[in-house]
Amino acid sequence: MVIPFNGRLGDLERAVMDHLWDVCDTDPATTITVRDLHQALESDRRLAYTTVMTVLDRLARKELVVQERDGRAYRYRARAGRAEMTAALMHDALEDFAHDDRRTALVAFVDVASPDEIEALQQALDRVRGS
Amino acid sequence: MTAGVLAVLAVLLAGPVPSALARVSALRRTPVAAVMVWQAVALAAVLAAVGAGLALATDRAWRADVGPLSMAVVIVAAGVAATVLIRLVACGHLVGTRIRSRRRRFRSHVDLLAHRDRDRPDVLVVDHDAPVAYCLPSVAASRVVVSTGTIRLLTEAELDAVIAHERAHVRGRHDLVLEVFSVIQRAFPRWVASRAALDEVSVLIEVLADRAAVRRHGRDPVAHALVALATGDVRTPAADGVGLDLRGSGRTALARVGLLGQAASPFHDLAQSAVLIAAAAAVLVLPTVLVVRPWLASLAG
Repeated sequence: MVIPFNGRLGDLERAVMDHLWDVCDTDPATTITVRDLHQALESDRRLAYTTVMTVLDRLARKELVVQERDGRAYRYRARAGRAEMTAALMHDALEDFAHDDRRTALVAFVDVASPDEIEALQQALDRVRGS
Repeated sequence: MTAGVLAVLAVLLAGPVPSALARVSALRRTPVAAVMVWQAVALAAVLAAVGAGLALATDRAWRADVGPLSMAVVIVAAGVAATVLIRLVACGHLVGTRIRSRRRRFRSHVDLLAHRDRDRPDVLVVDHDAPVAYCLPSVAASRVVVSTGTIRLLTEAELDAVIAHERAHVRGRHDLVLEVFSVIQRAFPRWVASRAALDEVSVLIEVLADRAAVRRHGRDPVAHALVALATGDVRTPAADGVGLDLRGSGRTALARVGLLGQAASPFHDLAQSAVLIAAAAAVLVLPTVLVVRPWLASLAG
């Protein structure tokens, strides 16, 4: 069970992404229409077609979803698979820690020790245990 | 006279004083008081610099016969004061906007990619092998994020300690303290010890959060978690398109574990805190009382 962060819209964004990621995991090239998505999601809940459009639009602005023009309609797909986007998120976080001047965006628990520090760290840990 | 004293004070508070403070590692034993000293010194330095400019400008401008040379001095002095303030406001805006947009982007992605920890509703778990833990500060709902790699690497007690540490950052809004020093560093990157201030303050807030975690979960789990995560392998497979080597990006882990190993001496720490808080107050109040008040009085008279 997933608990939404920001009410119904957050919940819906998750449902949409989960669906798009499932599609993407089967075949990354597949794109779907708002109608496809509306049908897939409506089996679980009552949902307006325009709401699905709004959510897709929000997700496109957040760079999670790619919008492609196909004649008069738009087709949508996840920008990348779930695993790939998770890796990208981790990469961004690690990069954020590495840049001193951006350190305030995220606050890391600890920075990574250099090889010559590892032994000193172990000794310091022994002193904590001994005291 | 006033302008000269304030200018000397500004130079001292911007350069030698922070450089010296950063070298006194004993200050890390009392992180709350030490952060107060750093904040007081930074604020006093800005006030002294602006005050020096204004004092010099008014000193000349108030005279009966304002010659061209005096006029030039007035313009330069007022210009210095204005430049300091404008740089701070502009960089404050720049840094603040950038941090908030990065956080917004992180938040939207983390919320959709991570899942909530079953036992801890404020903790998000990202499904990835690299052991990381961080907090994502926000006004409404801050997130503590850990990876599955972290959960695998740590014992339950150590994970609790890490989360208590991150919650302390969130509760204390330590990100705001850091943001102020980032802005100062950004506004005045050279000639003043703004880098030393930013580096030392970021160590101090980590020590603060470590203390909070120790109070809840004891010293050992905090120290173990620090060493485990500082030496854990964050290099993710290059096939991911990630491949990033962070080793040696910072040196705070050793200092923090070292502090945890020091014997507690409550009386000494209490005395040190009292002295530091008095010094923080003095550095802000004394220039105002001794220099600025007589100057304002002389302007009025």
